[in-house]
Amino acid sequence: MLSKLLPPPKWRFPVLIVTGIFVGLIAFILYVSKAHSYLSDNPSTCTNCHIMSPQYATWTHSSHREVAHCNDCHVPHNNVLNKYYFKAKDGLRHATMFTLRKEPQVIFIHEAGSNVVHDNCVRCHSKVLKDPKLAVTVEGHNVHRTERKCIECHREVPHGRVNSLSSVPNARVPLPTSPVPQWIKEYNQ
Amino acid sequence: MSSILKITEKRPWLAWLIFLVTIVVVFLLGLLASSIVERRAEAAYVNVPKNKITEFEPRNEVWGENYPREFQSYYETSDTLFRSKYNGSAMIDMLEEDPRLVVLWAGYGFSKDYNQGRGHYYAVKDLQNTLRTGAPKSATDGPMPSTCMTCKSPDVPRLMNERGVAQFYTGKWAGLGAEVVNPIGCADCHDNENMNLVITRPALVEAFERMGKDITKASHQEMRSLVCAQCHVEYYFNKNIAEGANYLTFPWDKGMTAEEMEEYYDDMEFADWTHAISKAPMLKAQHPGYETYLTGIHAQRGVACADCHMPYKSEGGVKYTDHKMQSPLNNVANSCQVCHRQETATLIANVYERQDKIIQNRDKLEELIVRAHVEAGKAWELGATETQMKDILMGIRHSQWRWDYAAAAHGGSFHSPIEIGRTISTGITIAQETRIKLARLLADLGYNKEVPYPDISTKEKAQEFIGLDMEKLNNDKQEFLKTVVPQWMKEAEEREKTYDIVANK
Repeated sequence: MLSKLLPPPKWRFPVLIVTGIFVGLIAFILYVSKAHSYLSDNPSTCTNCHIMSPQYATWTHSSHREVAHCNDCHVPHNNVLNKYYFKAKDGLRHATMFTLRKEPQVIFIHEAGSNVVHDNCVRCHSKVLKDPKLAVTVEGHNVHRTERKCIECHREVPHGRVNSLSSVPNARVPLPTSPVPQWIKEYNQ
Repeated sequence: MSSILKITEKRPWLAWLIFLVTIVVVFLLGLLASSIVERRAEAAYVNVPKNKITEFEPRNEVWGENYPREFQSYYETSDTLFRSKYNGSAMIDMLEEDPRLVVLWAGYGFSKDYNQGRGHYYAVKDLQNTLRTGAPKSATDGPMPSTCMTCKSPDVPRLMNERGVAQFYTGKWAGLGAEVVNPIGCADCHDNENMNLVITRPALVEAFERMGKDITKASHQEMRSLVCAQCHVEYYFNKNIAEGANYLTFPWDKGMTAEEMEEYYDDMEFADWTHAISKAPMLKAQHPGYETYLTGIHAQRGVACADCHMPYKSEGGVKYTDHKMQSPLNNVANSCQVCHRQETATLIANVYERQDKIIQNRDKLEELIVRAHVEAGKAWELGATETQMKDILMGIRHSQWRWDYAAAAHGGSFHSPIEIGRTISTGITIAQETRIKLARLLADLGYNKEVPYPDISTKEKAQEFIGLDMEKLNNDKQEFLKTVVPQWMKEAEEREKTYDIVANK
């Protein structure tokens, strides 16, 4: 089966070179796009694209910084498969938009993402919805929670209302640095 | 195995197609790679400051090019329009408001001139303008030491770095006239590399060390008060630390209350001056703002100075710290109302209520101390001996110290009404005890009636009463401001031109 895919002996050398070019290019793309980092939960992964700086900056100045990372709110946590399926789907969309320069100045969350965020609000804050010891809060939320999302009222949690690169002019965000390795830079000097 | 070979042998165009498709795919992959590299390189241009700010850069304008909002709001401290019931940003001649102060400070610089301070923007200018700093004609002339400059300017960390700390504290203030020109600003509180808050003044670091605390362990929220505590604290000039230096020191070794600092000063037999009328060895409280704030409810709930005096501000879509340090009463919406839901008028009334009630007793204490000074003066006149006067003079020293601790803490009656109220009440007790001793002594000396209260209804009358030649002081000052200061400014401008980055003023 596999042997059928292999080229005839006199073609092998050129095919080896061409395949090498392919694999090398793909490896380079994975490297410069920091593709491996997308498997992690590290918030600095999200600022691989600098346009996420305002989101990162507002989060690091919020109370959620202490307890929740990007993925805790922005990907589903009902099961592992769904988590990575959603992450891949959302991530590929972001990557496409970013590559095509289709990103808006002010980024707003989409329906699918907003549903995930809502579920995650409830995941951690279920006590304010259910715990009988918090009767007043539960009562207050009961009216709304069936038909509304948390962020419809808690709109500034945790990113504030409107974010764009110009709204956080001095934010210190872990942006990707030059992909050129140090030893080349040192050699050039 | 040989199937592909056979296929392409039969259809040579297919070989060409595979060749071309490969070219296109590799080409597109290359484009994608360069697009990623390009977009990634954009990150290098995000939030890049305009100027490279060097360490000890004293000019606020240079920092301001990178941080225009913070800079512009900082320069609004030049606003002198706001006047609250007791303070504000307007310059108020406090001796005019309350001429009794002249008697309290007889023999000390404050009796010449004492104003409610203006904003940080005027720090250097007002130091030059006040009669307290005299009219020095040369670098070694004048009544005040170089240490007075410590809190006035971001030129100070630069000079301390160039000359050494003890050397900075040595000499007269006029010696630094051409060096200290930029008003309190960026480099006083910020790290030039990352804008983190930093402590630039050694006195605070040293005070923490003596208390067994490490200031570098302070949290960010604590730093938002500690940078203020570099200056807004009680201090004195210690002459025993380095040869010839007036070494700036905070008297916190035993604690920060009026009693604890008093004990510290008594133990070292320190006096700022000897009172001109009573001959008492006096203490001048500077501005124990940080110490008194710490005892108040806001500090106890973790609210920092900056939370109320430099609240966050929104401008367009940008949220930043308002660097116009000012009374929160002039900005209730961004300060008080972030936590308190009451109406502005209610909140201001709450502040005034505390201030009114504290000042009632402070005012009474002030009158008692004026009387005690005058009565002690009378006792000396009638031939009292030093032994007879010893306890009385200590009583005057202690009661006025408490009065001054309360008065000079400025915001103290709001920051910590309970502690200030307590301090004043102990002051009243000491003042009256002292006056009982004085009454007995005066009776022993054959004077058994009330010592008349002097006519000190205006600043002029009070200054005449203590024997000050105001006309000469004022004339000398005007001459100094016209001749010496412009020369300093010129020298400073020439010096700053040699710096790497030239600021557009």
